Amino acid sequence: MKLKKVLSLLAVGALAGSLFTGCGDTNKSSENEDIKLGMITTLNASEQKVDEILKLVEQKSNINLLHHTVTFYKDLSAMQMGLESGSIDEMSTYDCVANYLLAKKLNLHVVEQHGMSLSDSFCFAVLKSNEGLKKDLDKALAAMKKDGTLDKLVKEYITDVKAEDPPSVEMPHIDGADTIKVAVTGDLPPLDLVLANGKPAGFNTALLAEMGKRLNKNIEIFDIEGDARASALTSGRADVIFWAIVPVDDSRPKDIDTPEGAVLTEPYFTDKITHLKSNR
Amino acid sequence: METVYAIFIKDGAWLTILKGLWATVQISALSLLFGTILGALICILRVSNFNPAKVFAQIYIAVIRGSPVLMLLMLFFYGIFARTDLTPITIAVITFSMHTAAYVAELLRSALMTVDKGQVEAARTLGFSKVQAFQLVALPQIIRVAKPVYQSTLINLIQWTSVVGYVSITDLTRVINNTAARTMQPMITIIGGMIIYLALSYVIHEIFAWTEKKN
Repeated sequence: MKLKKVLSLLAVGALAGSLFTGCGDTNKSSENEDIKLGMITTLNASEQKVDEILKLVEQKSNINLLHHTVTFYKDLSAMQMGLESGSIDEMSTYDCVANYLLAKKLNLHVVEQHGMSLSDSFCFAVLKSNEGLKKDLDKALAAMKKDGTLDKLVKEYITDVKAEDPPSVEMPHIDGADTIKVAVTGDLPPLDLVLANGKPAGFNTALLAEMGKRLNKNIEIFDIEGDARASALTSGRADVIFWAIVPVDDSRPKDIDTPEGAVLTEPYFTDKITHLKSNR
Repeated sequence: METVYAIFIKDGAWLTILKGLWATVQISALSLLFGTILGALICILRVSNFNPAKVFAQIYIAVIRGSPVLMLLMLFFYGIFARTDLTPITIAVITFSMHTAAYVAELLRSALMTVDKGQVEAARTLGFSKVQAFQLVALPQIIRVAKPVYQSTLINLIQWTSVVGYVSITDLTRVINNTAARTMQPMITIIGGMIIYLALSYVIHEIFAWTEKKN
């Protein structure tokens, strides 16, 4: 009698399990499955605003975002952990960051994004009241673009990215010159990282060293959390911070994420957005 | 093993981690010292019969304990002290001392409440001075009751300091985050960081256990 009870309980359990998990074909078409996508959070645009923009992108372009459920992460490391733990299926990052990750021989691959060609531009942000500094930075950037220095730096730090860490950057010291304080975050290699010896390095740091020489000013770099950048700028702790902007096109509005009271220089680098997936 | 070496040892990474650990220890130790002194003063105000002082202490404790320490730190660093020459470490020590003081004041008050007033009065009847009665009768009991909570406060304090990366201090957490971003090995790096924090807590536990044995 007891055995009969146990068997009937097992049968009921199996039936309930099959109802919960579904009895149909388990090899569902991946096209119909939601893709859990990780993105680094924007600092001044709310997640609702970003959702609206993504819908706008979908309407005005060929990009199909219908099957994407977006999870926002504080930084690249957190998003990478999300990918490793299976919380997200893909992570959205810049082409240069993806190449850095792949150069490190991590267990990842680039996901083919049919028809997707989004990109972001990188620039400096300064306070509106510091218009003179913005002009100086723009002038130095224009000169670096013209004489090929910027392209040289892009090639050295981004195009030819290697598995090894980039070299340490020596900041020029000019006696008696003014100092520009710059906040870096060290969380977006190869653009911005902190070496094992604790010194900031990468493309942005090399760019700053070159700009210091051209502007005849000392550059003082300090490392802070990414979310504290706007506070550092508005409080005067930093004269310059790095900022990523969405290039204006007919699907995306201008300046969705620019901090209040800040102005942005001309972009010094533009990069495509890539999706990465784990090989596991 | 090779990955662990590359993350924590290679190219002087261990030295950078030690420097970060030193920043954490430095901020925690100084904040504990000043927080304890300030906390004792706040406790005196809190238990005094002078009403304005009592109300001030109550407001101080309520405001500080009710505010996230990161908000307080950001307010001091990017607001109140933004135009001063105070170093980030000094501002962090001021913030964490004020924060710790609110907790210490409350833990001292609760320890004080456990002391039987009759014992102090009895000591006074036996000819002890006020100071002697406090020092020889009340204080040993206060210390015995407050010690375990004080230990927890210290361990909490060490963990609270992990937000100082927001004000340009490279402490242990910041070094671990930077290392995770550079090596692109966040899981292993963060586990390593946690082990260091655990070791620090263990050292504190052992110090308190040793003082217990000594007594």
